[in-house]
Amino acid sequence: MIRKLALALPALVLCLALGTGAALAGSSQGQADPGVTANSILLGTTSPLSGSASAYASVARGADAYFKYVNARGGVLGRKITNTIVDDAYNPAQTVQATRKLVEQDKVFAIFNALGTEHNEAIRDYLNANKVPQLFSATGATKFGAEAAKYPYTIGFQPSYQAEGWVLGKYLARTQGAARVAVIFQNDDYGKDLLNGLKKGIQRSKVKVIAAEPYDVTAADVQAQVAKLKSSGANTFAVFATPKFAIQSYVYAKRLNWKPKLTLANAVSSASNIMQIASEGGTNAVVNGSVSIVFLKDPTDPKWRNDAAMKLYRQVMKQHAPSANASDVYHVYGMAAAWTAVEAMKKVGKNLTRAGLVKVVANLNIASNPFLLPGIALKTSGSDHFPIEQMLLQRWQKSSWKSFGGLWGYRGA
Amino acid sequence: MADFMQQVVAGLASGSIYASLALALVLIHRATGVINFAQGEMATLSTYLAWTLTTNHGWSYWPAFAVTLALSFAGGAAVHQGIIRPNEKGSVLRVVIVTIGLLLLINGAVTWIWSGEVRAVQSPFPTRTIEIGGVAISIQDIGTIGVVVGTMVLLWFLFQRTKIGLAMRAASVNPAEARLVGVRVTWMLSLGWGLAAMLGAISGMLAAPSVFLDPNLMAAILIYAFAAAVLGGIDSPVGAIVGGLTLGVGLNLLGTYVDFVGADLRLPGALFVILVVLLVRPSGIFGHRAVKRV
Amino acid sequence: MRLGRSIAPVSAFLALGLVILVVPSFVSAFRAQQLSYVAIYLVALIGLNVLTGYTGQISLGHGAFMAVGGYTTAILMTDYGVKDVWTIPIAALVTGAVGFLFGLPALRLSGLYLALATFAIAVSTPAVIKRFEGFTGGGSGINLFGVPELTASLTPVEILGRELVFNDWLYYLAWTTALIGYVLAWLLLRGRTGLAFRAVRDSETAAQSSGVGLPRYKTLAFGVSAAYAGVAGSLFAIATTFVNPDTFPITLSILLLVGVVVGGLGSLVGLIAGAVFIQFLPEWSQQVSKSPGAPTVVSGIILIALMFVLPMGFAGLVGRVRTLTKR
Repeated sequence: MIRKLALALPALVLCLALGTGAALAGSSQGQADPGVTANSILLGTTSPLSGSASAYASVARGADAYFKYVNARGGVLGRKITNTIVDDAYNPAQTVQATRKLVEQDKVFAIFNALGTEHNEAIRDYLNANKVPQLFSATGATKFGAEAAKYPYTIGFQPSYQAEGWVLGKYLARTQGAARVAVIFQNDDYGKDLLNGLKKGIQRSKVKVIAAEPYDVTAADVQAQVAKLKSSGANTFAVFATPKFAIQSYVYAKRLNWKPKLTLANAVSSASNIMQIASEGGTNAVVNGSVSIVFLKDPTDPKWRNDAAMKLYRQVMKQHAPSANASDVYHVYGMAAAWTAVEAMKKVGKNLTRAGLVKVVANLNIASNPFLLPGIALKTSGSDHFPIEQMLLQRWQKSSWKSFGGLWGYRGA
Repeated sequence: MADFMQQVVAGLASGSIYASLALALVLIHRATGVINFAQGEMATLSTYLAWTLTTNHGWSYWPAFAVTLALSFAGGAAVHQGIIRPNEKGSVLRVVIVTIGLLLLINGAVTWIWSGEVRAVQSPFPTRTIEIGGVAISIQDIGTIGVVVGTMVLLWFLFQRTKIGLAMRAASVNPAEARLVGVRVTWMLSLGWGLAAMLGAISGMLAAPSVFLDPNLMAAILIYAFAAAVLGGIDSPVGAIVGGLTLGVGLNLLGTYVDFVGADLRLPGALFVILVVLLVRPSGIFGHRAVKRV
Repeated sequence: MRLGRSIAPVSAFLALGLVILVVPSFVSAFRAQQLSYVAIYLVALIGLNVLTGYTGQISLGHGAFMAVGGYTTAILMTDYGVKDVWTIPIAALVTGAVGFLFGLPALRLSGLYLALATFAIAVSTPAVIKRFEGFTGGGSGINLFGVPELTASLTPVEILGRELVFNDWLYYLAWTTALIGYVLAWLLLRGRTGLAFRAVRDSETAAQSSGVGLPRYKTLAFGVSAAYAGVAGSLFAIATTFVNPDTFPITLSILLLVGVVVGGLGSLVGLIAGAVFIQFLPEWSQQVSKSPGAPTVVSGIILIALMFVLPMGFAGLVGRVRTLTKR
């Protein structure tokens, strides 16, 4: 017994040593903020590299490619950006641990574009308490720019899901008379925010939501929900879903011989390649005439083929993320965020500090971003931490999107 | 009434997909006594294979289908020979861990090779819908049920009426005695794994045109397939079909008409079925009660 | 008396305790936190070891028990103002009761069927948590950061004259709990109960015919192991300062079983190795590649390889080394 334990103890210590890293914690180099040296900036990102949401890992990849491009041209005022990406498997508990590692062990300058609603929520208090910027959170949950006073270090990026729903609702209210709307929505904050926004947008108009069916992300298919929505007798179909389920919704509607007068879709699931699949070679009438909102330039949209920014996008992807699929619009999202981060850091200047960065991003006023639609500005202020609040409406015509009308802006809680 | 029937039809459509994967689970359990946690992922991999052949290499449907089935068979047998067999002599736990490792390996590989983007898969059946009494029925769904029933009949025939089927059953039930009468047990087990992988491939190729292809194609269906297999009797191919269709229709109707269940408790509903059946009648509707000799 | 035989293991155990006590002085605060999670997984593994190693019942659902413990703690702290430390024994009792209740119907299942049933429970737990939103906070979960009942989360706490920051406090809390848990399990298993448990594992029929009350011991094993998982879940909630349905996914349940097998059923060293494996596997996998999907491939390969190379787990390796050095 003693011998077993005599062997076990060193083994145990070895175990702990394996898990144990650097001995004495390095003394912080005094005055400069962590993550910034004379020629480098260290950023940290948590991203779902594994698990069921790994499709969204493209966001971090697009951003990373852009940072590499910027580094190749001298970096930000002479500092090269290193963006450490850590997998959180879309599990908020992993996000918390990964974020702590980035802040306490890797000593990053800021957390950039962390992906996921509950994931950002789980780390928000910690980051603000430790005065680490939570830059351009990749989530559209409404609560994210809404508590700006309480969380000065947290800045969102995309229009909130509620804003999207609101714009679609307002469009219905202005143009569809007494439409009867049936909604399929994902049963979480994302889907519910969109639905709430829609309801707010149609307030005080003749439009009514007469049926709303949730589905859980663990569902195999949404046939039952679409069948139920068809039987409600609605003439407008709103699809607030993630790509796979959005495609299913369109296809099942067609299979059930449902012919709604108008179909609405939200931004995440209306990328051109998704719509192409849903249109089943043009035979799906439900897809034709669909209306959606958009704020990013879609790489599969022919109208941007000769656009300078999208040419740059393709070039950057080819050089710095050659194995990635460049027609995936999530890369553009990441790149748009990375572009904004670079602009913000340039604006802070040579003396790059966390406080300085937060000041800049909380008072952002950038007129345009090459990866966003023309005219969309990035603005934040004291109580409003959503940089992007404008979007365009677009209509699916035959095999591509065509935007119409002017920019819509959302100003609301 | 038409709405009710429409839900029943939708339930039959979903249920036939659950049944198709359940057949693979039943086969593997019957032939090898193992519950393969990686069955779904293997089916997903096969489906991606078929997709690559038709989309990236421009093959037409049936040749791609045939090659995918052949490769799946080979893959399943190889997995058994290379990975499962060395661990069979250990405890049940080792096999469970190994199939879980396989699940992770294949799931990750699919994402790594093909990315998480959603893709469309060709269907062997026309996607037209016919309407009967206000209820829309898709020809593809009818075709799926047909293929699943046909496969079940073939399986039944294999097990009950062929020598190889007999050998497979013997190898699974009593390997020691089977060896004594000249059955090459290990080959029979590998054959079982190969066939199950083929069934999984068929299941994936039936499901993907309806549900659309992404790395999680089978992950969601797997649980429902387990529930269907358990409900019908984990050793019975007929049970897998009946279980799948019953489950599909039952969950749909529950989800539509019982507010408490709603849309979000359908998965727990399926799991509840697994639990209740395992507790009340572990052999399922059509299964046989195993009697343990002491 | 039996005391003579106990001196060696007890002194080795105390030496271990000493090592654990001094480690934080040598590592960064962040490493201390990572090691706290090792202790948390260790608690769950000790419990799972009682169930699987001793009575041979396979559970792929212990993540669900951790969820029960975690949510008990979170709800007690935010809705009822209970201090975090006091929620731990309550979580143990609640989860133990749930485990015991599950153990009753589980009596009719064995081997793979039990694995399947527990797998089913683990997969459905997130959906059930979301359903009872009013109680559990639904998909948004419960945030514990800065809650006054959470010790040391904003300001250091003073224990025995020393000031501890959150990471160090967590370390001591987790390891103290783990070591107490180990001692309790050891006491339980060395006695008649342990004997009965092993009899159940080795041959249920033989055990029954020898008069071992099968139902009683099997359900007891479930209750005990669930209680441990509940404590682990409680500590997990405290450490992560956040719970939501996705923080207890099916992968957690799978990893716990993997940890027990990889560590090797039975020995403390093995269980610690298993806990280290669970905590650091994602990190090691990511060091190989960060392409989407690649970490999962690496994890799968490591798992399969381990079953080939170390079929008896890490504890088996120690055993083999011991046999080799005996000559």
